[in-house]
Amino acid sequence: MNKKQITVALVGNPNSGKTTLFNSLTGARQHVGNWPGVTVEKKEGICSSGGYEIKVVDLPGVYSLTAYSPDEVVARKFIIEEKPDVVVDIVDASNLERNLYLSVQLMELEAPMILALNMMDEAENRKYKIDIEKLSAGMGVAVVPMVASKNKGVPELLSEIVKIAEGKKSCSGVKIAYGREVEKQIEVIEKALSEDSLAGKYSPHWLAIKLLEGDEEIIRKFEGVSGVK
Amino acid sequence: MSSEEILKLRQEAVAKLQSIYGGDADMVIADARYGFISGLLKDVLKKPPVERLSLSDKIDKIIVNRWLGIPIFLGLMYLVFQFVFTLSVPFMDWIDAFFGWLAGYAANISPDWLGSLVADGIIGGVGSVLVFVPPIFLLFIAISILEDSGYMARAAFVMDRLMHKIGLHGRSFIPMLLGFGCNIPGIMACRTIDNPKDRLTTMLVNPFMLCGARLPIFILLIAAFFPENQGIVMFSMYILGILIAILMAWIFRKTLLKGESGHFVMELPPYRLPTIVGVLTHMWERGKMFLQKAGTLILAAVIVIWFLSSMPWGVEYASADSWIGHIGNFFAPVFAWAGFDQWQASASLIFGFLAKEVVIGAMGTMFAVEEGLLGNVLATQLGWTPLIALSFMVFSLLYVPCVAALGAIRSETKSWKWTIFTAVYTTAVAWVMSVLVFQVGSLFV
Repeated sequence: MNKKQITVALVGNPNSGKTTLFNSLTGARQHVGNWPGVTVEKKEGICSSGGYEIKVVDLPGVYSLTAYSPDEVVARKFIIEEKPDVVVDIVDASNLERNLYLSVQLMELEAPMILALNMMDEAENRKYKIDIEKLSAGMGVAVVPMVASKNKGVPELLSEIVKIAEGKKSCSGVKIAYGREVEKQIEVIEKALSEDSLAGKYSPHWLAIKLLEGDEEIIRKFEGVSGVK
Repeated sequence: MSSEEILKLRQEAVAKLQSIYGGDADMVIADARYGFISGLLKDVLKKPPVERLSLSDKIDKIIVNRWLGIPIFLGLMYLVFQFVFTLSVPFMDWIDAFFGWLAGYAANISPDWLGSLVADGIIGGVGSVLVFVPPIFLLFIAISILEDSGYMARAAFVMDRLMHKIGLHGRSFIPMLLGFGCNIPGIMACRTIDNPKDRLTTMLVNPFMLCGARLPIFILLIAAFFPENQGIVMFSMYILGILIAILMAWIFRKTLLKGESGHFVMELPPYRLPTIVGVLTHMWERGKMFLQKAGTLILAAVIVIWFLSSMPWGVEYASADSWIGHIGNFFAPVFAWAGFDQWQASASLIFGFLAKEVVIGAMGTMFAVEEGLLGNVLATQLGWTPLIALSFMVFSLLYVPCVAALGAIRSETKSWKWTIFTAVYTTAVAWVMSVLVFQVGSLFV
């Protein structure tokens, strides 16, 4: 019998250890560098767990999901268009504030995600205390603490991946409060979008946020449809 | 609702939010995200009341210091080249001796033409390139150590202020540093630069970074013509590449690619002790391409060069009357002002377009000698002086990037126009600089 397949995308800030995790998941030996920007193309590998064949895609490290630089576009396109079964967001635990900005944007995308809280050893060295339960509850997603370079937390991550792919665990993430006025505008646009053809591919809520943000790529898509220059 | 109406709706919404918040909607939304994060972390994250300066922070006080940063960077680079030179010499001598023995043995193969193909063509050509495996691999070890330790990111940070003056930011220096290994990953790394004009500028100047494949040209000529000052001449070649890249980037930002440069906050990863396995893996990843090239592209190129040196039938091998002699002589006058207008020089530069190692491979094939003797042959048979060698080095450093690097520029810019532009302007810069070196140098020598 053929194994069922799960597609997993690895996203995260540059230098948060995505490629290290990718290597320890797939047994690959991709170049891991101690500086940002080592992975500029997506890379694929295979591993298996819980009777599934898991296709792992290592996306370029990005700080956000705007459409400014080609590596951000690669990461965003993959999540939106290929719709991976699970998005693993690798977060540097010693640098939570900055890393979570990307996580919040992934939540906006309504992608099924897991927070892989990597480099827990560095956070401990700095005497940071992170309440995993509260973080998970506050974000509305599963959180797996790990040290990818020492293979710690990798089995736990795999079992979470399988749980989410099987639909046994919710992973939608909470909705961010943008303030009443902003939300009102989001709602207006979202409603108008519900009949639009683009809304089939993208979540209308996300499209509305991106339109308000003035995201060039999304606006171009609408201009393309209407022929407006 | 049509797309047009949605876009109109968007404008109204943005205008409305502008009037309420007095700021752009994207700022308001970003603020909300940060607000969410800081609210969440209040509950989740407890930091020690006073954060000790970590070891990384302490080291950084010196390494990225305003005044010490650039001298430390230059000092480390100098150490790297000394390390590469000193350590590689005995290994190179062994490999050279091996190929010398092999060629002597192969020359006896009959028929004569086959003996010549194997001894002069293949062993002379590929052998003179393979001799450079030790320095190239040692260079890759050094680069890997600098990279894995976290120093490379600091080097980019240190250069940030200087880069801002030329209208780029320190982030652009990372692709340039990567270019020291090979220009192709350097060009690919430009993807992380968000501003399109910054990105294009950084790509256009990347080929000036002295890549591993060009190293053989410099090691050979420096050993033959500057035996007293090897380290310092090598070091100047790297610096010249960086300076020309920075100068050209500045010119592009003022002319063809005018505009605001992007903002970027440099991230400094923690220092980590490089592992032996990690460093060797990286060395091999970078170095294996060099070996593969030697067995494929360079082998093919030297066979073609051997053939062109042997034709027309019955001609004296690699003489001015051979086909390659005609090709070389056709282009040689171009280099008269630069001092190296011998046909062998222009012929090897032309074939260097395939891969820069071929410049040395072609000379090895044409003079039918191994690397150890090549320097002397250039002095005795072509009458090269140290000044001519220097002018030739400057030209080889700067002229048209190899086919593969141009391919990378083409696929990254998706533009033939910029690709051809790169090929043309780098060669023009190379010509001007080598003429300058030779003419000004001639006044003093």
